[in-house]
Amino acid sequence: MLGFLLGEALRDLRRAGRVAVTAIVLITLSLVALGGFWLLSANLGRAVAEWKDRVRIILYLRREATSLEQAILLERVKAVPNVAGARYISKAEALSSLKRVLGKDATVADNLPSNPLPASIEVTPAPGAATPEGARVLVTRLGTMPEVEEVEGSVEWVERLSDWQRLLVSIGLGLGATLALAAILTVTTATTLVLHARRDETEIMRLVGAPEAAIRLPLLLQGLIQGLLGATFALLGLVALYRVAAPKLEPLMSLTVGLPSLEFLPASAILRLLAAGAALGAFGGWLARGRSAM
Amino acid sequence: MIELHRVSKIYEVGPVKVPALTDVSFRIDKGEFVVLNGPSGAGKTTLMRLLYREEEPTEGEVMVLDQPLAELTPREVSAFRRTIGVVFQDAKLLPGRTIYENIAFVLRVTGVPRREITARAFEALRAVGLSARAQAYPAQLSQGEAQRAALARAIVREQALLIADEPTGNLDEGMAAEVLGVIKDIWAGGTTVILATHQSRLAASLRRRTLILEGGHLVKDEG
Repeated sequence: MLGFLLGEALRDLRRAGRVAVTAIVLITLSLVALGGFWLLSANLGRAVAEWKDRVRIILYLRREATSLEQAILLERVKAVPNVAGARYISKAEALSSLKRVLGKDATVADNLPSNPLPASIEVTPAPGAATPEGARVLVTRLGTMPEVEEVEGSVEWVERLSDWQRLLVSIGLGLGATLALAAILTVTTATTLVLHARRDETEIMRLVGAPEAAIRLPLLLQGLIQGLLGATFALLGLVALYRVAAPKLEPLMSLTVGLPSLEFLPASAILRLLAAGAALGAFGGWLARGRSAM
Repeated sequence: MIELHRVSKIYEVGPVKVPALTDVSFRIDKGEFVVLNGPSGAGKTTLMRLLYREEEPTEGEVMVLDQPLAELTPREVSAFRRTIGVVFQDAKLLPGRTIYENIAFVLRVTGVPRREITARAFEALRAVGLSARAQAYPAQLSQGEAQRAALARAIVREQALLIADEPTGNLDEGMAAEVLGVIKDIWAGGTTVILATHQSRLAASLRRRTLILEGGHLVKDEG
């Protein structure tokens, strides 16, 4: 029976012709839009997560502290609420760190008459304080310490990145939903055309006592097939887009948000896109199916 | 086998009530060949439609194959229809399928295993003398052949009852005789037959029990 149902569904697809093709194209476009924004947003999400982990507040000191002063200072910093950890960075450490960043241009630092970099304390905020408001409170509090010349640290841009990520998800969902609606309506139209074309068959099927499932399931199946085809084409399109665009976008992403590489959608997202395509198609078929009632 | 008890059918067309059948009662036993005769508009088709539960009576009770049709659920209606065969004036063959496929289609939609389908379809085609035309499309058949193909489709599941509504209505005398010959063969094989026709001469020539309908009333039950 399954073979028969599938055969009928494929026959119905051929009958629907161009309308079925339009439905497949619309499902493809809606899922490419959704998947594309999903891809970007997932990578931005990775950047946000990494940056949230790396949020630090730097306390630049007025002068280099002695070993005893360092220990006392670190204790006082750690005692401030919402401080998860603190590390002393000497002037020498700061300079060698700069040299590492400069790489082959490190000789520039060697030519300096004296080390201009201040000693500092690198403060790791507690997870609860890694918000713009939490970081602001911490910066104000730590800035009041007499040994501290200047405080640097903010998570606002990480939050902005997070806002961008949310915006991308919203645009993707909005665009995807609009196109999905058009796709559902097109699948419904394709299925209605098929219903019209097969009304004689339906009459004969009912007359000979075919179970309702044999009459209606091919309609659902043809919608499902359109949806799966659309989702497959969308995934192929996304893979192609990723292969072409990723090498070009990676340097920019690395420079701006510190993400060295762009990752493609995970297997779970791929499965969800396929399921979304199948669901879109089947829903369109189901909507039309109501019109075949006895 | 078939029993109608005080059956009436009234169609409502807007505010107008059109009686199609009035207080019709009869009984047909297993293995009978019954002719339903009457002029156009006498209610023959309505009565046939009641027999395969395409319509429900406004009043009265219809029993077919000893089942009260009014009590059947939609699922049971499907199961019931698998036990009867129906043919019409128009053969109602699917134009995009060959004659073999038209017959196999009925078996496939009713869940007959694939391995049985070919043998049973060809057996039915042999019974109506159409084995050689199995791969032809309906448009390539004469009207008589198309009607025989419809009969093959109606008996392919070895139905206990054949309902034939004006099966010779569109045929010339020679073709009508061919089709009636096939129906008689089906009846001789043990199938109960009820055949509706408006042609009084044809009804008389069959020399079988004849129910005569006029204006929705059963006026005669002879033979």
